[in-house]
Amino acid sequence: MTALLETRNITQRFSGLTANSDVSISVGRGEIVGLIGPNGAGKSTLFNLIAGAFKPTEGSIIFNGEDVTALPAAERCQRGIGRTFQVVKSFESMTVIENVIVGALVRTTVMREARRKAQEVLDFCGLGGRADVLASDLVPSEKRRLEVARALATEPKLLLLDEVLTGLTPVESQKGVELVRRVRDTGITVLMVEHVMEIVMPLVDRAIVLDLGKVLIEGKPTDVVRDPKVISAYLGDRHAVGA
Amino acid sequence: MDKAFIQRRRRDLVVAACLAAIAAAVPMFVKDVYVQNIMVLTLLYGALSQSWNILSGYCGQISLGHALYFGLGAYTTAILFTKFGVLPWFGMLSGGVLSAIIAMALGYPCFRLGGHYFVIATIVIAEITLLLFHNWDWAGAALGIDIPVRRDSWVTFQFTRSKLPYFYFALGLACVAWFVTWWLEDSKWGYWWRAVKDNPVAAESLGVDVFNSKMGAAAVSAFLVAIGGSFYAQFVSYIDPESVMGFQFSLLMALPAVLGGIGTLWGPLLGAVILIPLTELTRSFIGGSGRGIDLIVYGGLIIAISLARPQGLVSLFSRKPKPAANPVREAVAS
Repeated sequence: MTALLETRNITQRFSGLTANSDVSISVGRGEIVGLIGPNGAGKSTLFNLIAGAFKPTEGSIIFNGEDVTALPAAERCQRGIGRTFQVVKSFESMTVIENVIVGALVRTTVMREARRKAQEVLDFCGLGGRADVLASDLVPSEKRRLEVARALATEPKLLLLDEVLTGLTPVESQKGVELVRRVRDTGITVLMVEHVMEIVMPLVDRAIVLDLGKVLIEGKPTDVVRDPKVISAYLGDRHAVGA
Repeated sequence: MDKAFIQRRRRDLVVAACLAAIAAAVPMFVKDVYVQNIMVLTLLYGALSQSWNILSGYCGQISLGHALYFGLGAYTTAILFTKFGVLPWFGMLSGGVLSAIIAMALGYPCFRLGGHYFVIATIVIAEITLLLFHNWDWAGAALGIDIPVRRDSWVTFQFTRSKLPYFYFALGLACVAWFVTWWLEDSKWGYWWRAVKDNPVAAESLGVDVFNSKMGAAAVSAFLVAIGGSFYAQFVSYIDPESVMGFQFSLLMALPAVLGGIGTLWGPLLGAVILIPLTELTRSFIGGSGRGIDLIVYGGLIIAISLARPQGLVSLFSRKPKPAANPVREAVAS
């Protein structure tokens, strides 16, 4: 079976700075893949390129057998790429359910259907009871859930999660982990950027480590965390010696 | 959950129908022509502001150049009638369609501008058009166009003896503008517009066609405003560039919505009902001194209202329950 998502030799330069260089990764159907790496490794850039926030300087992005490199974000969403934002971008003047309805409207223009779908997704994400609250009145962890709910309402094949588990309390992030598992169980492929290793590693099937804009290593999470290259990327060479 | 929402939508509709019925009955009791004149203007500005609110309130693209579409509507009707004998009804429709097309043509470059730059562009474009009309001899230049008076009739949409037909038309227009807003509010467009206003980047990631939703809002908004302009030309039966395309119209369309509650269903009408009579009354009671005291009072009242109710007067009637108890917030507060 072919991969759901493939990036081929992606290079992204911002004037002088090369954020991604020659990055080729693939994500299979039904996987949870973690994209990790120290600060400034180019995770967010790669993530934004996949979501269509901007076009890569070089290389191409293949999604579901189709070259989507030139497509704007809205059309990628229609093709089945859903995303969340690292800094939450709720529609603050709208209620929680209205936020989600915007997402649901990609698949239907019948309002009753969109509303039903939105409520269903909210229940799934544990926000069912907060449907009629203004998004601006949510607490941060709820806003993160809303981001996920909104993206899920677009019925994605691939869900891109940008640091949804970062900065949460242990209880909240445990709930988040469960949510991601349940999402995958519904058949959605998940690619997540995180830099808190302890949370991500037990969750993902495969981890891809980026460093200085390049793929450093990829593989099973248990192998990746022991790899000297990864340890040195995170902690510096001195700590890698013993490993 | 669905039920409360549907009930609210229905209640809005019922309230609107009742208000329209009451408004329709008012002329039976109010025979004073001066007051009737104020009522016509109030309804007209209510309708204009409601239309402005679609682009600027719901979709968040603040326009201070809507006088352009108002003027285009007025001029199209007047020119077609005086030069080609086309009845105002067709003129009205043509003015609306023309304005919608021009709104999209202008939107094409302007919607790429962000924030304040978009506002500036709308002002500049309206001012340029005003100057063009000032110097366009065929369209009457600065002298304007006199609409010849014929017999009173609905066919030519002219009434010299009574204000009532104008009143009912203005009422109808206000109802249409309100209903269009009500209907769009719970449609794909309504949600798209609000999403675009709140956060275009997030909207795009959810499949919203940001550019085209702005174009759609501009077209609907300009069409309705132009109908109002056509009506105004018939109502005053004489137009010149300043009196239908001046900057004050752009402001008078924006103010009621801002004062009443921008981006809300009822805000523009509520704002117009308070603002327009206030404008007329301050002018007629204290405007004669020649020192502009009426404008000072008027301006002061606007400032007072906006300070007291920054979210708009609509928030006085807000039925929204207090945000459901939020354990975290309460814990923080205590």
